[in-house]
Parts: sequence; C-alpha cells; structure tokens
Amino acid sequence: MIFAYFPVMIAKKIFYHGYMDHGGHITLPDNPSLLDANHIFNVIATLVVMVGLLLVGFSKEKFEDEQIIQLRLDSLQWTMYFTFFLYMLAVIFTNSIDLVHIVGINLWMLLVFFIIRFRWVIFRLNQSLKAEKGIS
Amino acid sequence: MKNNIRVERAIKNITQADLADQVGVSRQTINTIESNKYVPSTVLALKIARIFGKPVEEVFILEEED
Repeated sequence: MIFAYFPVMIAKKIFYHGYMDHGGHITLPDNPSLLDANHIFNVIATLVVMVGLLLVGFSKEKFEDEQIIQLRLDSLQWTMYFTFFLYMLAVIFTNSIDLVHIVGINLWMLLVFFIIRFRWVIFRLNQSLKAEKGIS
Repeated sequence: MKNNIRVERAIKNITQADLADQVGVSRQTINTIESNKYVPSTVLALKIARIFGKPVEEVFILEEED
C-alpha cells in the first residue's frame, strides 16, 4: 500500500492544478503543483543554491592531503554542534509557525557555516606558513 | 609526540617543500608536523622515516603524557 502512495503523491504534485466546481470557479490546492510558474521558480532556485553550496563545500582542494581531509571532517563536526545549538535556540525562542522558516534556513545555513569554518581553518594554515617564513 | 624532522632535514639538507614533494603532501602539512600542531597518520610517518632512511622511532618520539 505504502509503495503505491509515493508515485500517486508525486503524480499529483506534478499534474494536479486545482479543480473546477459547478460554477466554473477554480480552487487552487494548498499544496501547489510542481509545474506552477511561481512554484517551479522556487524549486529551481533552491536546487541551484543547494547544488552550488555542495560544490563549493565539498569539491577537492588543489592539494588534497590527509590534513585537509581531517580539517574537513573537523569542520563538519563543528557544523553539527553549531546547528544543534541554533536549533535549540530556535525551539526556545520561536513558536511552531516560525519553526517552518527555521527548517528552511537550515537547508543552506549548515553548508554556509561549514564553508566559512573550513575556509577559515585553511586560511589560518596558510598564515602560519607565512609567519614561519618570516622568522627563518 | 615530538619529532626530529627539522634536524633530519638539516642533515639531508632539504627544505620543507622538497620533503613535502617526496612524500606527496602539502608544505603546510610538513610545517604543522614540525611545529607539533598536527600528528601525521601512520602511513605518512612511515613515508617520512623512509625518506630519511631511519626507523620511525628515531624520527617520531613519544612523550610522557602520550
């Protein structure tokens, strides 16, 4: 039964544009169809942002060695802490309606924090090399 | 963990960049290992020791608190 549910849900999402009642009124569903002009724009924009962030965050460095891999994992761990902290704050200080936006923000906030933290660590690494050169 | 990489490099008269090239890591990695900020993996430690032609224990030394 449950296996039939998903295809039907997806088909409905794509093709269902609301229905016409006897008076010719079109009632739009609360859940907009995927091919709705506004909605498809939102979907594509969100996907582009997410794929872009993934590429920026997880593409290989010019020189990928074991230290870079460790720094990346380390940054992911910090991202986890940060997200949980943020989510706790959100649960305390917002109501359930705002929580929908929090989940939306979480889509990209995770990766943005990860990228900033990762870049910062690599920047510090390069700075330390420069400082070393200055001494010797 | 301490290490003698700086000393061994001086004996062989090679730079951090040369060593980095030979073991296939970045110059930053060699630099942070030398300044005890980064502990290399076993594979990398073995590779570095091989470049200097010495057993690992002579290049990397355990300390009391390890």
